[in-house]
Amino acid sequence: MAASAPIATPPRRASLERVADLVAALVVREFKGRYRRSLLGPAWAVIQPLGYLLTFTLVGHVLNISSEGIPYMLFVYSALVPWTFFSNALARCAPTFYFKAAIVRKIALPREAFPIAEVVGSLVDFAVAGLILAAMMAWYGTPVGWPLLWLPPLVALVMALATAVGFIVSALGTYQFDTVFALPFVTQLWMLATPVMYSLQSVPRAWRGWYRLNPMVGIIEGFRCAAVLDRTPDLWLLAFSIAITAVVWIIAWPLFRFTAKYFADVL
Amino acid sequence: MGPDVVIRMEGVWKRFGLPMPRWLGGAAREEARPWVLRDINLQVKRGETLAVVGRNGAAKSTMLRILAGVTPPTRGRIEVRGRVFPMIEVTGGLHQELTGRENIRLIGAIVGVPRREFARLLPQIEEFTELGAWLDQPIRTYSTGMMARLGFGVGACLSSEVVLIDEALSVGDLAFQNKTLARIRQMHEQGTAIVVVTHSLDTAQFIAQRGVVLEDGRIVAAGSSLQALRAYEQLVFHGRQRRAQASIAAARIYGADGNTAQCVEIGAPFGIEVECRLSRPAGEALFSLAIVNDAGVTCVWNVSAEEGLRCTAAAGKLRLRAWYAENRLMKGHYRVDFAVQDGASFAVMEQLAGVASFAVTGPGRARGVVAMRPRWDLSAADDQPAPEV
Repeated sequence: MAASAPIATPPRRASLERVADLVAALVVREFKGRYRRSLLGPAWAVIQPLGYLLTFTLVGHVLNISSEGIPYMLFVYSALVPWTFFSNALARCAPTFYFKAAIVRKIALPREAFPIAEVVGSLVDFAVAGLILAAMMAWYGTPVGWPLLWLPPLVALVMALATAVGFIVSALGTYQFDTVFALPFVTQLWMLATPVMYSLQSVPRAWRGWYRLNPMVGIIEGFRCAAVLDRTPDLWLLAFSIAITAVVWIIAWPLFRFTAKYFADVL
Repeated sequence: MGPDVVIRMEGVWKRFGLPMPRWLGGAAREEARPWVLRDINLQVKRGETLAVVGRNGAAKSTMLRILAGVTPPTRGRIEVRGRVFPMIEVTGGLHQELTGRENIRLIGAIVGVPRREFARLLPQIEEFTELGAWLDQPIRTYSTGMMARLGFGVGACLSSEVVLIDEALSVGDLAFQNKTLARIRQMHEQGTAIVVVTHSLDTAQFIAQRGVVLEDGRIVAAGSSLQALRAYEQLVFHGRQRRAQASIAAARIYGADGNTAQCVEIGAPFGIEVECRLSRPAGEALFSLAIVNDAGVTCVWNVSAEEGLRCTAAAGKLRLRAWYAENRLMKGHYRVDFAVQDGASFAVMEQLAGVASFAVTGPGRARGVVAMRPRWDLSAADDQPAPEV
């Protein structure tokens, strides 16, 4: 038994390692637990973007939206993949503490691990949706090249943004469950304010200054450029997204750290 | 902090909720919230065991949560040295679809055992839980007791400086409980400080050396665990004003050899012994004993005067014994309730629930409230009349 070992004060664990261990365990728990009893399993990862895809394709054809010379389906789907990742990550973050109340109320643990785990967990669905995108690109014979190398940093950026916003919505969701109800509505509005079903070019120039304040604009536009348009993303736009993401972090992190201390009181 | 002190709480006050900044109108709203803990001062040294007893809502669990670092105190200081392991039922964190083994890993990560250490501990934990092949089954197939073993197994195999226990001991079957208690004793011998929150007087008595009584978020009594338990009994059963005319000094279950017993076999004889002190003589003392099972059903209730014990009792210390020649209770946990009345005036002099407790053990899988064994018989059911019994 461990009992035979003398009791020694273990060095206070590097908190980063503790968070990483916990994130890993939570992601594995989620991943293994989630699909074991679900009939369609990982297919759920693509049902949602495919549903949007069909609707948007219809709308796009009816309204005759410009798609910068590539098939409209590809145009929309290349933006839907990162957008769905982002919105799903937020939707999972908001009630995360509510669902894990049993743990959070009883055991002291680094609470930031929960939103982070939700974001990392959403990567699984993202990967599946990404494979479908690759298949579509092969089907349409889209030329690909060096701009693909922009994808990993773009994924990192969208994760960073999702984590920061995830901190905010998970903190709000813990204190006010209304957040969880309001979130789908808000993310839907947000999507309309992001070039998912239309191109950035179609946004009137006069509005672009404000439009760019939406950090997802640079990310989605960059993703589409790198993946299907085979060109380097607009670096100026991207720098704007990075700056806004940094600002969101600066707000979100202290807010989360402060409110998280008292989660156990309100759960 | 002295070298031996592992827990120190200094003037700890707690009120729930998020402290809002003043400009959001926080101060006023905060004042409206009640204090849950008021001015708690406490020290626990290495190797000490402390029982925290109190009524429901006395903020026992809040105190434990503050010790575990789950929620910060509103005022005051708290220092805990070394690793704290909360042996609180962690079953809420388990995932129904994962296997027992996967869940053990999850618990490990949740309580913060480094991965390498955990890999080393896993075989011990698996052995401690005694779940065997069940460990590969999803835990939705588990019973409550089996699930509790998972959480407890992890705690029992870790070495930590402070162990917090919250009513977790009442899970699992008797054998597992005994194993757990033995393990806690072992930890204690190795210098782990133990804080147990309970309203089971037996647990407190069994584990703890010191006790504090919480009432309304304040420590109203502190001392040896026995003193604390007395104070708690006073609190629970008498409120604060009424003074009992009799007090109970000790109570136990004993076997045929006269030794104190925790378990009684089905069919075996056993006795209940209560030592009490009457502060005034009783014209005709009426003693009653009840044996109540886990479900709260009074299985046996006996009154001395109706069963041959008629006496006048002088003031002073008395030893009451009730001998049951054959135990007909079914397997399970039982507690003994005791009351003494003045038969002349029928005034209750003392009434106490749970003066002692014991378990009934026996072979086989028979269940129920009463232990009765039929004589079974099977024969071909043709026209012959049933055999006479």
